[in-house]
Amino acid sequence: MLWYKAWLETRSRFLTCLATLTIFCAVFVGHAQGLIRPEWKTDYNRLLFVTQQFVVIMWILAVVLLGMGGIVRERAIGTSSLTLSLPVSRARLLGIRVGMGIFEAIALAVVPWTTIFLVSFLARMPILISQVGFYVLLLLGGGSAYFAMAVLVSSLVEGEYTAPAVAFGLVLLTAIVFDAWLRPFNLWRLVTGDFYIDRHTYLLSGHFPLLGTLASLSAAALMLLASVGVIQRREF
Amino acid sequence: MFFKLNPTTGQPLYLQLMQQIRHAAETGALRDGDQLPGIRTLAEELVVSPNTVAKAYSELEHDGLLELRQGSGAFVTVKRRTRSLTDHVQVARRRLRDLIEQLREEGLLDEEIKRAFEAELLYPAEIVRK
Amino acid sequence: MTNTPVILTRDLTKSYGSSAAVQELNLSVGPHRITAFLGQNGAGKSTTIKMLLGMVRPSCGEGTVLGKRINNAEENRDMRRKVAYVAENKPLYGYMTVEQTVRFASSFYSDWRADVARWLLNEYKLPPERKVKALSKGMRTKLALLLAFARHPELLILDEPSEGLDPVGIEHLLQMLVAQAAEGVAIFFSSHQIAEVERVADHVCILDNGHLLVDASLDQLRQSYRRIDLVFASAPPEREFRITGVEKIQTKGHQMRVFASTNAEAVIQRARDLDAVSVEVAPVGLRDIFLETVKEN
Repeated sequence: MLWYKAWLETRSRFLTCLATLTIFCAVFVGHAQGLIRPEWKTDYNRLLFVTQQFVVIMWILAVVLLGMGGIVRERAIGTSSLTLSLPVSRARLLGIRVGMGIFEAIALAVVPWTTIFLVSFLARMPILISQVGFYVLLLLGGGSAYFAMAVLVSSLVEGEYTAPAVAFGLVLLTAIVFDAWLRPFNLWRLVTGDFYIDRHTYLLSGHFPLLGTLASLSAAALMLLASVGVIQRREF
Repeated sequence: MFFKLNPTTGQPLYLQLMQQIRHAAETGALRDGDQLPGIRTLAEELVVSPNTVAKAYSELEHDGLLELRQGSGAFVTVKRRTRSLTDHVQVARRRLRDLIEQLREEGLLDEEIKRAFEAELLYPAEIVRK
Repeated sequence: MTNTPVILTRDLTKSYGSSAAVQELNLSVGPHRITAFLGQNGAGKSTTIKMLLGMVRPSCGEGTVLGKRINNAEENRDMRRKVAYVAENKPLYGYMTVEQTVRFASSFYSDWRADVARWLLNEYKLPPERKVKALSKGMRTKLALLLAFARHPELLILDEPSEGLDPVGIEHLLQMLVAQAAEGVAIFFSSHQIAEVERVADHVCILDNGHLLVDASLDQLRQSYRRIDLVFASAPPEREFRITGVEKIQTKGHQMRVFASTNAEAVIQRARDLDAVSVEVAPVGLRDIFLETVKEN
């Protein structure tokens, strides 16, 4: 029943973030009801592009929040003796927590964009599914590194409030660093689609950035593996 | 059966239990054929380790006072030897009664008498015999 | 009935920096008995237990529980299937209800006994729908203990089980311990409550500053530990009494008090040989054995 435990632990965080994201998207996009003119399609696409920027910020903050927890946090609140006495390996404990987090992260990307798709459809400004897919995959592929970073931080940093503080601090730091020095490798711009936006049509064009996404996913995988190692060596 | 075990005297609990069962057999509170509670039941009732009860029962079986039947429990077997033991104990108690009265007349308090008895009893038998 | 120890350690050591929490511990806990683990706060009891359960890695030495190596993650995990453990702080997940907690715990162990769980829930009057964080401390303690008592493990490890319980709760706890022992469960519990230990323990281990000072059956301690009070006509000859078994000698004027863990007869004989005016022998309760042992260390 470890999945159930992981669900109970993240349930309120997840549902709150999901509601916030979805309502935001529905309202933000729905607000553009006034643009129901085909010739204003470009502006609508631009609106979607802007929406993605907001979605990215909120999604990344949400998955960082969801990446918190685990047995290091349990040590701070006093339940690690119970969890660690279960006949379950530490790798499995982490794996299930990460698995639940991944499911929730996917839902947090798919549901809001599906809402945008539906709202657009109902406003008679239908958008291409391929665009939706592009945005969602950018989010998941590129943003996965942030989730993994949160998991790693939660495995290293003890303290119920210290871990999230460090994780959010790192998010801010990477944003600044990417913007200041690593412009060509700016993860933010990858995830928001900034690299692929056609400034005329405001549609995402070109090939899907496999290389960038792969780099992000690899970084994510490495961080998750590191988390397993950290957890296995740690003393409680 | 009412047993009371005292963990703070210098005597192992199983020995105390054995003595109390013997005493019960001597005074007739337990008669030939009576069944004692099972090891687990008595242990839970007295809140002592089952090993204590098991050892007491096992020693008493060895001494012939109990018969342990597989599955049914522990049964008292008061043999003639035990009956004559009862007489011995009765005689001893009468002598003790006289001695205690004597000591009281000499001015000793009951508490002092009791402590003297306990101290003397703790002398290992070999030393006393010397 | 085999006599393979359920817990066996060899020179088990745990150091934090320059100080050692546990030093070359050679523990052998037998099956089919109740073993009590006594020691002051910080003596190393909890650290030892955590090493046994794989939560802390030994600095040195090794150990096995139920024959499985504590140092090996897979073996340790295998062993935990058959070991029930309740930590000192009686941990529970605050966000789960009583019923969810019971269902959660039961899902991991094949030795879970649903009928006993139901009976205990009733006995302890634990409301199934209430969240753990809304329970009183006493109820939380009882629930944490229930998770262990509703199982039939091979070994039950309890760290200060009676902490947080009222006298009725303590009585019930001891009865449950005895019931488990009667079913063949080996019990290893650490406690500060000497009175409880004296009632139910078969065997006692005293740990101080990471060292095992006493490792004996309680009956044996009861039979051999003696306090001998002597009065001499002149100055008591302390030197004459430093023989095997004598743990401590205290002298006040003409009086001498000797604590002997064994060999009391030799002390008494020597006293008589040296013309002691008065010789009084008394048993020593576990509390005094513990205090004297720890003070001397």
